[in-house]
Amino acid sequence: FYVRASYKESKLEARLSLLQSAVDEYNKAKNEFAAKATEEEMKLLRFQRRLDEEKGEALLGLSLHDTLHALLSANYHKQAEQLYRDFRVPDKRYWWLKLTALAEKEDWDELEKF
Amino acid sequence: MSAHLSYGRVNLNILREAARKDLREFLDKCAGSKAIVWDEYLTGPFGLIAQYSLLKEHEVEKMFTLKGGRLPTADVKNIIFFVRPKLELMDIIAENVISADKMHSPRDFHILFVPRRSMLCEQRLKEQGVLGSFINIDEYILDLIPYDSDLLSMESEGAFRECYLESDQTSLYHTAKGLMTLQALYGTIPQIFGKGECARHVANMMLRMKREFAGSQTQILPVFDSLLLLDRNIDLLTPLATQLTYEGLIDEVYGITNGYVKLPPEKFAAQKKQGEAGKDLPTEPKKMQLNSAEELYAEIRDKNFNGVGAALSKKAKIISAAFEERHNAKTVGEIKQFVSQLPHMQAARSSLANHTSIAELIKDITTSEAFFDNLTVEQEFMTGVDTDKVGDTRSYLHYIKLGHNIDSSCVFAHVIPQVNAYIEDCIAQRDPLIKILRLVSMQSVCNNGLKQKVFDYYRREILQTYGYEHMLTLNNLEKTGLLKPQTSTRNNYPTIRKTLKLWMEDANEQNPNDISYVYSGYAPLSIRLAQVLARPGWRSIEEVLKMLPGPHFEERQQLPAGLHKKRQQGENRTTLVFFLGGVTYAEIAALRFLSQMEDGGTEYIIATTKLINGTSWIKSLMDRPEAQTL
Repeated sequence: FYVRASYKESKLEARLSLLQSAVDEYNKAKNEFAAKATEEEMKLLRFQRRLDEEKGEALLGLSLHDTLHALLSANYHKQAEQLYRDFRVPDKRYWWLKLTALAEKEDWDELEKF
Repeated sequence: MSAHLSYGRVNLNILREAARKDLREFLDKCAGSKAIVWDEYLTGPFGLIAQYSLLKEHEVEKMFTLKGGRLPTADVKNIIFFVRPKLELMDIIAENVISADKMHSPRDFHILFVPRRSMLCEQRLKEQGVLGSFINIDEYILDLIPYDSDLLSMESEGAFRECYLESDQTSLYHTAKGLMTLQALYGTIPQIFGKGECARHVANMMLRMKREFAGSQTQILPVFDSLLLLDRNIDLLTPLATQLTYEGLIDEVYGITNGYVKLPPEKFAAQKKQGEAGKDLPTEPKKMQLNSAEELYAEIRDKNFNGVGAALSKKAKIISAAFEERHNAKTVGEIKQFVSQLPHMQAARSSLANHTSIAELIKDITTSEAFFDNLTVEQEFMTGVDTDKVGDTRSYLHYIKLGHNIDSSCVFAHVIPQVNAYIEDCIAQRDPLIKILRLVSMQSVCNNGLKQKVFDYYRREILQTYGYEHMLTLNNLEKTGLLKPQTSTRNNYPTIRKTLKLWMEDANEQNPNDISYVYSGYAPLSIRLAQVLARPGWRSIEEVLKMLPGPHFEERQQLPAGLHKKRQQGENRTTLVFFLGGVTYAEIAALRFLSQMEDGGTEYIIATTKLINGTSWIKSLMDRPEAQTL
C-alpha cells in the first residue's frame, strides 16, 4: 500500500504525491470510496497548511474533527464554517462539536448566538 | 503453586511438567552461571510455566529484556537469548553480541527459539556475522500453555489476524503441533469434529502428522473422547458483545493478560491500613493473579455480574460465622482445631475483601448511564429489533420509557435510515474508536452487512473524526468480514438466531438454567454449536451449519486395539474444544456451565490460540501507521 509509505514521509509535498498515487491505485481497484476519502484527506492537508501559514496554528496532521475543534476554540468561526460546508459534515456532529468546543472555553456569548 | 491444575477432569499438570522438563534440560546444557535475555513478549507466557525460583535452581542469576545497543554487564559465564523467531529480533541480538565481543569478556552465547527455530533467522544471524558465536541454538516447543485447570492457551496475540487477514497459516501449524503433543501425553483423541476453513486445515495437518508417526503408536488410554475445532470467524458476533460475567467484566474493564490483572490501587489502600498501619498509599497498580487456585474466585468468576453481589455477601456471612465460632470453643481440643483453620480462614477473608473491592469498582462502571446505553444498543442489534428503518424513533421511545435524559442530539432527524443514532452520537462525542468499531461491526454482523449508503456514511464519519489513517483499519475489518456492505437482501442471522435459540428472553442471571446468562440474554453461537454437537448432534442443524462460513466435518482416528475405553455407567464424556482465533471469558464460562449441568453428559476442556475480548481483538486488527510530524 502506498498509503503506509505516505505516513513515513515527513515532507508535505512528498506525502501529497504519494497519496495521489494511492488515489490512482484505488481507482484502478475500483474502490471508489477509498479514492474519494484519500482525495478528501489531501484537501484537508492543503487547507491545514494554508491556515498554518496564515494564522500560525499547528493544525497539520490533525483529523478533520480535531481541526474543527481547534478552529472553534481559537475563535476562527469563519474558517470552521467553511470546512464544515466543504466537507459536508453532518449537522448533528457539527453541533455537538461546536457545543463542546465553546463550552470548554466557556464562550457563552457565542453559544447564545445559535 | 500449581496445585489447581491437577484438580480438573484432566490433569493438566502433566503437560506443565513436561514443558518444565524440557526447559530444565536446556538450561543444564549450558553449564555454569547464566543470564537470560528475554524477548519481552515471552515473559508473560513463561511465567505460567516456570517461576523465577525454578530458573534460579539452574544457576540463572540475572534476567534482562532484549533491547538494542550494549548488553548490561553481568558477571556470568553464559548468556541465553529467549526469543521468538522474528527477523527484527535477530538484528538486535547481533548488535548485542558484537558489542559484547568488543569488550573481550569471555562468555558463551546461546539462543533458544520459541516455539520453533527458523532457517531464515539463522541465515540473518549468519549475514550479520555472529552465527558462529553461538554454542547452542535450540528450540523450545511451547504451544499450548496450561492456563487453568480446564483451560489451555497458546497466548499468540496475532493468530486471528494471521489466519483471516494475512492468510498466514503458521499459527495453524503450531496449533496442530500442540495438539499432537497433547495426544502424545493424553492418548489419541478418537473423534474430531470441526467447523470452518482453519479447523479443516488443522485437522488435515493432524491427520498427516499422525500418518508420519504411524510407527510410534502411543499406548495410552485416551483421556479425551472427542475434539471440536471451531473457527473464530463462524461466530464473529460473540466477542463483539460486552461480556457480563464477573471474570469477563474484569477483562473488559481492566484487561487480563497472562492470568494477571492490574487494578487501580485506590480501593485497596483502605484495607491495607487496617492490617499494617502506617504504610504509604500504593501508587503502583495492584497486580493480582486470577485463577481457580483461589477458592472464592473459582466460585464467582463465571457468574453473571448481577449474581456476584449476592454470592459475595453469602460468603461474607459464612466467614464471619466461622470466626464467631471461637467464642463457642470451650475445650483445648476445640480451640486447637479452630487455630489450625485460622490461616485458611484468613486467606478466605482477604480474598473476599479483594473481590468485594473489585466488584465495587466494576459496579461503578456497570451502573453508569453510558454502559447501560451501550448495552441497550448491543442487545437491540442482537435481538434484531433496532435494525430497520424504525430504529431511530424506537430507541428514542426507549429512552423515554427508561426515564433517561434525552439530549438534544436525539431531536435531529435522520437523513439516512439504518444509521444508529447512538453510534452517531458516540462518534460526535469522540468516544474511543474501538468502541465505535465494535458497535458498527456488530450492526454489520447482525444484518449480514450494512446498506452501501450506511456503510459509506459510517466510514466517512470515522475517517473525518478520528483521522484518515484509519482507512487501513477499516479495510482490515472489511477483509475479515466484520464490516461489509450488504450484497444480498437475504439476512441469515434471524434464521440462525431462531434455530439455535441465540436469544433467550428471560435469562435468569442469579440461578442460570441456560448458557445465555453470560451475556444476559444472548447465548454465544460458538457454544450453542458445541452444545448441539453433544446432543442431539449436528445433523439436526445441517441447514444452519451451511449458512456459516467454511466446511463442517467429522474424522475418526484409529485407536490401537485394546485401548478402546470402556465407559462406565454414568461416566461423562470429555471433549476438548479448540477455538482457532481466540475465545472470550464469557464463552469459557458458558462451557463450564455446560460441564456442570447434571444431565449434560459432557465435560469440556477449553483450548485456544488466545484469550480475547472485543477490545483486544479489534486492536489486533488495527493498523496504525506512525505518522511523521509534518
